[in-house]
This record gives sequence, C-alpha cells and structure tokens, in this order.
Amino acid sequence: MTSAPLAAHPAPARRSRLKSPALLLVPAVVFLAVIYVLPLIDLARVSVGTDPWWSHIARVFSVPLYWESLVRTMKIALTVACLCVLFGYPTALMIQRSKGSVQALIATAVILPYFIAILIRTYAWMVLLGRNGPINKTAIWLGIYDEPLGLLFNRGSVLLGMTAVLMPLMVLSIYSSLSRLDQNLVRAALASGAGPLAVFWRVLLPLTLPGVGAGFLLVFVSALGFFITPTLLGGPGDQMFAMHITQQADSITGEGFLQALAVVLLVITLVVVGVAGRLMGFEFIWGGGKLADTAPAATKLRRVSAGPPRRSLAMVAADAVGWPILRLIGRLPSGTGTWAVRILGGLVICTLILPILVVIVISFSKASYLTFPPPGWSLQWYEKFFSDSNWMTAFWNSLGIAALSAAIAVTLGATAALGIVRSEIRYKSALMLLLVSPMIVPPVVLGLSLYSLFLKLNLVGTVFGLAAAHAIGGIPIVVVIVAASLQAVDRRLEQGAAVHGASPLTVFRTVTLPAIAPGLAAAVFFAFLHSFDELVLSLFLSSPRLKTLPLMLWADVNYQLNPVLAVVSTLEVLLVVGGIFLARPVLGRSRGAH
Amino acid sequence: MIQIQTWRDPRQDAAPSGRAGAGSDLIGARISMRNVTKKYGAFVATDRISLDIEPGEFITLLGPSGSGKTTLLNLLAGFQDIDEGEILIDGKPITHVPTHRRGFGMVFQSYALFPNMTVAQNVAFPMRMAGVDWATSDRRVAETLEMMRLSEHARKLPSEMSGGQQQRVAIARAIVMRPRVVLMDEPLSALDRRLRESIQIELRDLHRTIGSTILFVTHDQSEALTMSDRIAVMDQGHIIQMDRPLEIYRHPKSRFVAGFVGESNLIQADVLERRGDLVTLRSPSGHVFHADSRNVPASGTVTVLIRPERMALHETPVPGTAPATVTSALFMGETLRIGAVMEGGETLLIRCPDTAANHLPEPGSRIHVGWGPQDCWVLA
Repeated sequence: MTSAPLAAHPAPARRSRLKSPALLLVPAVVFLAVIYVLPLIDLARVSVGTDPWWSHIARVFSVPLYWESLVRTMKIALTVACLCVLFGYPTALMIQRSKGSVQALIATAVILPYFIAILIRTYAWMVLLGRNGPINKTAIWLGIYDEPLGLLFNRGSVLLGMTAVLMPLMVLSIYSSLSRLDQNLVRAALASGAGPLAVFWRVLLPLTLPGVGAGFLLVFVSALGFFITPTLLGGPGDQMFAMHITQQADSITGEGFLQALAVVLLVITLVVVGVAGRLMGFEFIWGGGKLADTAPAATKLRRVSAGPPRRSLAMVAADAVGWPILRLIGRLPSGTGTWAVRILGGLVICTLILPILVVIVISFSKASYLTFPPPGWSLQWYEKFFSDSNWMTAFWNSLGIAALSAAIAVTLGATAALGIVRSEIRYKSALMLLLVSPMIVPPVVLGLSLYSLFLKLNLVGTVFGLAAAHAIGGIPIVVVIVAASLQAVDRRLEQGAAVHGASPLTVFRTVTLPAIAPGLAAAVFFAFLHSFDELVLSLFLSSPRLKTLPLMLWADVNYQLNPVLAVVSTLEVLLVVGGIFLARPVLGRSRGAH
Repeated sequence: MIQIQTWRDPRQDAAPSGRAGAGSDLIGARISMRNVTKKYGAFVATDRISLDIEPGEFITLLGPSGSGKTTLLNLLAGFQDIDEGEILIDGKPITHVPTHRRGFGMVFQSYALFPNMTVAQNVAFPMRMAGVDWATSDRRVAETLEMMRLSEHARKLPSEMSGGQQQRVAIARAIVMRPRVVLMDEPLSALDRRLRESIQIELRDLHRTIGSTILFVTHDQSEALTMSDRIAVMDQGHIIQMDRPLEIYRHPKSRFVAGFVGESNLIQADVLERRGDLVTLRSPSGHVFHADSRNVPASGTVTVLIRPERMALHETPVPGTAPATVTSALFMGETLRIGAVMEGGETLLIRCPDTAANHLPEPGSRIHVGWGPQDCWVLA
C-alpha cells in the first residue's frame, strides 16, 4: 500500500473495482448458489423429469390424499395466522403500553419462547395437554370432569400448538410497527375527541396494518411448511402437506414424485411471498430494515400519489361500517378496552410461558413417567442425561456442528451484510432477497433438495455437511442483524476517522467494528442457536452414526415421553436465557429469525 | 358521564366564517389550577401550582427543560393524572373527565398529523369524532383551511408538505371545533427562524379571530415575549412569576427570571442612601449611581438589573459614567454587542444600535459606560 501511489497509476479503474465493497458479497452468494439455489433447481428438474413432464405434478393434485392434505394445510395455516393476529395484537399493545420493568418482563416472556426450539416447545405442549398433564389434573381437581380427556392428537391441539409456536413472530412484527409510531399521534387523536376505541380504529390499526400484514404473512408462510408440531400434536386426520414429504422419503417411492410434492409446496410458498412482496415490499421478510436503494423510494412515491382516493374510500367504509359499531361499544364502561387488552394479552403470555415452566418443573420429577404435579423431587433425570453416553455424544456432536455452522454463517453473512450496506451496486434488493430467502423456504423442501446433492458429494452424515446445511438458515439471521447494526453506525464517524488520516482498514478496525460488535456477538449466538436447534434438515442429512441432540429428542418424543426430554429442554431454556441476557443491547434494534 | 356539549357544540354553531375581532361570540374558557401537584417518584414535576387564566387569554408557559411546563400542559390535556390539587374549567373540575371528552384543541411539536389521512381528513378528524354531520363538517373544514391558507393543499398527504405547512394543518385541526381551550406544546421549535416568526404573527391574529383561551408552552423567551398576553415563567416545578411580557422583561421578580428572559447585567451594589423615590448605590468599582427606590431596603447589598440596551456607551468620560475595558466587540447586524469589564471586576454587556455615531471599539480599548435611574431595576 505504501508504494502504491505510482504503481497504481496505470490501472486505476481496475484497482478501484477490486476495492469495491460489493466484492464482499461474493463468498456468501457463491456459497448459497452452490448449496441452496442449485439443489432447488435440481429438485424442480427431477420433479418434471418424466414424460409428459407434468405427470407427477398432476398426481399431486389428483390423488385425494395429497389434494385434501394441501387444502387442509392451507386452512390450518390460515386459521393459525388469523388466531395469531387476533391474540397477537392485544399482546403487542400490552407490551407497548406497559413501562419499565413490567414491559421488560412481558417482552421477555414473548421473546424467550421465540428462540427456543420448536421441537421443545411442541414437546412442552404434549406434556401440558397429556393425560396426566397439568390441565387434565387441574380440571379433575376442580371437578369440571372426572376422567382425563384426550386433549392431544386432534385439530384443536394442532392449532393451539402452532399458534403458540408462531405467536412471537406476530407479536414482534406488530410491536415493531407500533413502537415506530409517534406517540403524539395517539395523544392528538385523544385531544381531538377520539375515545380509546376510535383511536384504535382510526389511528393505530390503519397505521400498523403493514406490521399486521407482515406478521400474518410470516406466520402463514411458516405454517404452510410446518412439520414438527402437526406431527407430534396432530391425529391421523390432521396430516399437513410437509409431513407427506418426510413420510414419502422414508419409503422411497418413485423418483420424482417426492420432488413434485416438494416443488408444489415451494411454489405455493414463493407465490404467496411474491404477491405479498409486490404489494407491500419484500422488507417484511426481514422486518422492515430499509436499504439504501432507489427502488423502494420509487414505489413509495408511486403509492403516495395513487393513495388519496383509495384511502378516502376505505375511510368512508370505515365510517359506514365500523364507526356505528364502535359508537355502540363505546357505551361500555370506559375501562373495558383496557381490560380486554390485558386479558387477551395475559392469556397469550400464559400460553407462551406456562408450557416452558411446566417442563422445567417436570425435569426435577421423581416419577419415571410424565405426571403433574410430580410425586416427588429428584435429580435422577439430570444424572441419567449426563451419564448416558448416547445423549452426551449427541450433545457434543450438536455443539461441534453448531460452532462450525455459526463460524460459516457469521463469516459469510457478516461480509455479505457489509457488502449490502456499504456498496453502491444495483440490484441490491434482489441480492438481499436472495440472502434472506432461506427464511421462507420450507425446511422440508430444503432438506429434500440437499439430500441428493449430499449423496453425490458424500456429505451425508458428516459434521461439515450438517454445519454447511445449517448455515443456509444461519446466513439470513446474521445478515439481518449485522446489516441493522451497520446501518445504525453513523457514517460521519467513519468519515471523520478517514479525514484524520485512518486507512479504510484502520477505520473499520477502530470505528466500525467496535460499533457493530454487539450486533456481531448476537449474530454469532443466534446462528449457533439456529444450528443447535435444527431438526428438519438433520432428519434428511444425518446418518445413524451422527446423531444430534434434536435428532435424539425427536426419536424419544416419538417413542416414549420421558423426563430426560424435560432435562434437555430445561438446559436449552437456560442456554437461551443466557444468550438473550448477553444479547439484550441488540435485541431492541433488530429482529433475529428462527 | 359528561357530555361533549359541556364545552362545545358545533352542531348549534351556524355562525358565518370570518367572524371578526373582539366582538366574537366565541369566548375561551376560564382555567383555574388549585395546588396542582405531579410527582414522578421522588421528582416533583409541578409543585402545588395555582394559577388563574382569564377567558380568551393567550398564556405562555416559559421555562427551561425540566421546569414542569410540559407536565402542566399534559395534566391539563388529561394525558397524565394529577396527584394532588385540581384543575377547573369555567369552575367545573375536570380531573375525572378523560382527554377525549375535554373538548380541547392541541398542537404538538412533532405536528402529530395522521400520516394515513389527507390534510382535509386530518382537519375533519375532530368533527368526525364529535359526530358532526358531513355537510357541517365539510363546510367547517373548508372554512378553517381557508383561514390557514391551506385550501389548495386539502387533498395532499402530510408527508407531501413542508414542516411549516404541516404545522399549519395541525393548528387547523386544533381549532376546527372552535374549542374553548387550545393547548400548544412547543409548536414552533421544529421550524426555522423565519418561518417561526411568520407563524408567530399568524397565531397571534388567529387567537384574536377565534377567541379561544390558548396555553402555549415554549422555552424560547423571545417567542413568549412577542405572542403572549401573559407569561408564566416556570422553574423546578414552580411558577416564579406570571405577568404581562413588558412587566416580566422590565421588572423581573428574581435573578432567575431576569436571566432567563432577555440578556441582563446584574450588578451587586451597596445601598448608600435612600431619599424619596431615589436610592443611591455604589458598585464594587466605586461607581456611584441612582436607581428607583422600589424594592430597595434601607441598607445592605442589592442586585441591580440593567438591560444591555439601556447602557449608554461613551468614548470620552462624561459625568455619571464609569470607565471600563472592552473585552469583546461583535457586529450583530442591527446592533453592536460589546463585552466590557469594570475596574472592580463587574462584567458588562452592552448593546447599542448600529448608527453612524456608534462604531465598534477595539478589544482592550477604554470606554465609558453610563445609565440612568430609570434604567435600573433592583431585584427583590
């Protein structure tokens, strides 16, 4: 560098191109292209590799088993998304309206479950709803009914479990849009004579509709590809579409049909996301972090100029339909609205926290089967966990894979985030979309597509293979968190350092890196956690020789529900609590992904 | 439950637009506060504040941040609950009336316009909430927009307008119901100086037109001086002084008020002699001068306030002046701003108009400063 000035003269254009921050995007894009995009393309190719090409696809839609399951999946996903809005909005309002330590407590109660593995939360529901579970026991004790009811394995338990699992996504989405509102808007509405209900109907709801929409879509799309919860909580009549793909994978049927199933699920997901993205901008996938790109600004302007007539129409409708009803409800005692919010929100907090608490209690049980309250206390299940070589091997495997996966995801994701935020390239939005898209691809589809690639490369059942596969989902998390941290860095600080003679690398080391360090730490933790919790990809890509902790849990949950699972769950909760505690500074600013 | 009609009823209002001046039939409400106290934990935001505001007055709450002025406004608006004391509107306590039934108008520093509604819809919002029929509402919105010179912007969204225009929309929204009380929370501090001054004049005229009682919060003393009928100067949860702007400026009650409103020279002086209306004082440098004897004790030391523009500047010694050394001299446009120090260490600030007679002295040069008895105000 020091001898550069003269040598640099002949080819300045090439030099500056080599220095462009856009180059930082190359490793992540290449990685994702090879291990994520190509396998999906291959999957699509195999699904249409017959004569005529549509025969497999046609079968998906003509065989009642699959067609009905597809319809059922849509219905369940829609119901879950609606339930999440219905209960999530009051919860978000409750967080926003509470203050200080109460707010921190409620927010933690929502965020904590968000980062606990879906498998563990589903298991907690199995415990809670079980024949000897707390709900049956309490109801019998209260004399509501005499015999324990079969609360599990029906549509109700599937809906409840999925809603509980996906609720945090909705609450956080609505909350982030609520918290961005100028609080004086509510005051202005109040001062203009609007009662609490009118404030909600005319100000809060219209302004947070984008947040509600984003949450609805995220929940709907995640629910479409759901596999773990319906498998464990559902009965024979509650088969969801993703479950067929794993079942078919167990008994290898004709090559191509399985891929067709996966392609149908993928295409439906992408169409939903695509339509939603056209309407409200693709930012909803990663929680609204705006990029310094010209495209979003243009769409915003267009929307504004096209806006007024449509808006006033919506307003006339709101006036005609909603307003008379609101005026009627407005006659209720003044505290009604506040109490409705508190009751609904409280219910949500209970359904999020109660299962986890029950599982923690169960882990100290003396009984050798699941019963609540435990007949006595002991640490025997902890002893069993730590002395069982199978569990311990799985534990160390998971730890190793997660560490490697986090290393890959953070290296690639953080450089890509730098490239996205700091470069001036075109198609930034498209690149960001590619980087975060693994968040919305159903894991079952991804697992299936990777399986054939891993067979070819001999990666099935290897530590590196699993780590790389998990990193596909880790990269979006890292990119979102690090990009948000980078955007929060004041560019003028960097310019100030540069003006005073710091080289770009020194600027990065002395100004940028310290500023994004908390974000980076959080990214490491969440990428680690993502891999540590990952089950679905591992189901496809692991081998009997390489068991991870979630795989062991999965086998045990399906085979026998014993308190060792509760021990593992408790340890995971501890891990997450510790992580959140360390990552607190960043959580406020960005929304990680599961 | 208290009906909206208690304080306003636009449905009965059929008065034509452009109602003029003091003869207005719409008169603001009388606001009385009795020992109003608000605490945040151990911090007392307003401490037993009592005040009376006449119908139709323009009152400014002036004070540094943390003085309790915004808290007082929030208590009046009903955003926060009073810990002790009560607020009366036309003699009726409003402690248990929720914000949306108080029927006030309010303007915020951040404009707080509903971004999803057009200008006209924003202004119509209070009308819609009061259940006013569409015809009356449309007419009143049009009138109000006309009054604020916003008619051509009616169909725009707030995001398409400049800050000054947005604040005019917010004012229109606050007055569209012709409320008896309008609250303004630092409405102009987000605007640049020129715009601020033009809206100040606009607000003053508007106040005369609509006749509402206006409570205006600001930390900008010049804004308070130009706009208000009376100013309440606040500090640490107390109203230190409440009076007409001229009185506040010329006859402040305390060092705090003197320092907060306008620039001031505060000189410690010993009382030498008191005779009739005049008192003879001596500054630390031995300069002997006379002052109005109001507030002055028979002996001891007092603080004398002399506004910088009341000081006369001479290049040569004149009887009754004191010598001083120039420490700084700034040309400010219409005035010269000169810092000086007297022999006894008293620092002086002098402002004189930029005329042909006054020219900017060099720092370090010697000047002579004088003032008359009527230029001095002895602080109690």
